[in-house]
Amino acid sequence: MNAALYKQMLKVKLKGFLNFAFGSAFYILLMFWLYPGIARNAKSIDELVRSMPESVGKAFGLANFNGSAEAFISGEYYGLILVLLLAIVCVQLSTQLMAKLVDQGSMAYLLSTPTTRAKVALTQAAVLVTGLFLIMGVTTLAGIAGNGWLLRGDYVFHTGKFLQLNASAFLLFFAAAGITFLVSSLCNDEKRAAGISGTIVFLFFSLDLIGKISDKTDWLRDFSLFSLYRPDEIIGGSANLAVNLPILAAVGLIAFGLAVMLFRRRDLPL
Amino acid sequence: MLSVEHVTKKFPNGRGIFDVAFSVGKGEVFGFLGPNGAGKSTTIRHIMGFMKPDQGTVKVNGFDTWKEQGKVQAFVGYLPGEIAFIEGMTGKAFLDFMAAMQGLRDPSKRARLIDRLQFDVNTPIRKMSKGMKQKVGIVAAFMHDPELIILDEPTSGLDPLMQKVFIEIVLEEKARGTTFLMSSHSFPEIERTCDRAAIIKDGVIVAVKDIHELQSMQRKLFEVLFASEAEADAFAKSGLAIDSREGARVRVAVQGDYGKFLEETAKYQVRNLDVFTQNLEDVFMNFYDRKEGAR
Repeated sequence: MNAALYKQMLKVKLKGFLNFAFGSAFYILLMFWLYPGIARNAKSIDELVRSMPESVGKAFGLANFNGSAEAFISGEYYGLILVLLLAIVCVQLSTQLMAKLVDQGSMAYLLSTPTTRAKVALTQAAVLVTGLFLIMGVTTLAGIAGNGWLLRGDYVFHTGKFLQLNASAFLLFFAAAGITFLVSSLCNDEKRAAGISGTIVFLFFSLDLIGKISDKTDWLRDFSLFSLYRPDEIIGGSANLAVNLPILAAVGLIAFGLAVMLFRRRDLPL
Repeated sequence: MLSVEHVTKKFPNGRGIFDVAFSVGKGEVFGFLGPNGAGKSTTIRHIMGFMKPDQGTVKVNGFDTWKEQGKVQAFVGYLPGEIAFIEGMTGKAFLDFMAAMQGLRDPSKRARLIDRLQFDVNTPIRKMSKGMKQKVGIVAAFMHDPELIILDEPTSGLDPLMQKVFIEIVLEEKARGTTFLMSSHSFPEIERTCDRAAIIKDGVIVAVKDIHELQSMQRKLFEVLFASEAEADAFAKSGLAIDSREGARVRVAVQGDYGKFLEETAKYQVRNLDVFTQNLEDVFMNFYDRKEGAR
């Protein structure tokens, strides 16, 4: 780690992080605000969901509306929108933090100072993880605040499950960020890095989505990192967190470690 | 101080650098000349440790620049050939950041350099002209008082006045014992500062020579306009290397022997005299040709 670089990078990227974090917080608060009205009409909504093809409800997490606030939020936000948002953050940010600096040539300046490549890569990885942590942290706090402020204990809300949900989402994207960062560390071209890591993340996402639609396509989920993150099961209490979370953490650590190691040994066209 | 030891790097397209070897002593200013694409930047990338040589090593103060990343940089200043800064910063923010990365505490030299190069550090970098960015890059390369400064095409983008200031700064640093490696494709820039220079072509060092020797090899074209065609005729028969003729206008190629040229010209009435500074490729065409012929 290099303190000066970390500080500088964070300064440049902080505005972007906060935009995403506040956007996410705003959305989750909106959901909490809408929730009381929806809870009152739970029955008709249930019917509406049931009138849709079963697979659609399953894919987008609409099916398990079981009457608690975190289940609603999980279905409405953690199942799809948050995933897309963080996927974009991962691809965009990891590309900017490594491949872009190599592509433009400004990496030459960083490497002409008495620091090592390993330190530069590690610092950039730390900036990325800090960003994810910030976005998830603000989102989590907004959820807890939203419960206290908008629901005031009148509705069922399991804080524990909500925290599990957030921890799982963070670790999923820690792993995904590791992979996109690895791609970015190996690319000399900014557009190529974004293209490759975007394709990988999108592929994971689609395999998981298609896998959810029917039992016949369920096997597709085995190929996707995203299948280790199952908001519906976390809410239902059937998720295997003790296995899934360590796997996600390990994937992330290995990918980041590999990125640092390979970046160290690579020829750079600076 | 700096020794490049038989470095070979072959790229998949067959280009690269082959068995490049030279060394630069402490306090020496070493020029690195060659046409575009000859391998200057590739060599500098190896010196900076950005690339791993297929064969050979580069050592700065005894440290292998590839294996011991981070150690060498403590006493090296670097100006990249293509200047690209981190986005969203002003010149000052960038220099502050570089100072923090370099562990620099004393800002007095930086202030002096900014003053001499005359630019506004508070301008956002994305609004800077090429020349202004070049100045920021020069300050970043010099401000931490490195022992060795590596400059890749340092004066590109600078106006003639600033080129002069830059050369003065280099000469002052040289007087203080700083070592330089300076790549260029412009001979005059190298001529005024360097002690020795290497010439590279197609990835191979064709010569490492004393600067005076190189000067004597340099071919210059003089265009002389005589008062009459008869005089031009007589001049053309004097045995000088006539490049071309157009009425009373004669172009002569002169290499080293300026005395004879002046003597012959002075015999006639001269209306006008022009010198053409040739680009490096032309300047050393002779040299290359002779080399090829000898093979």
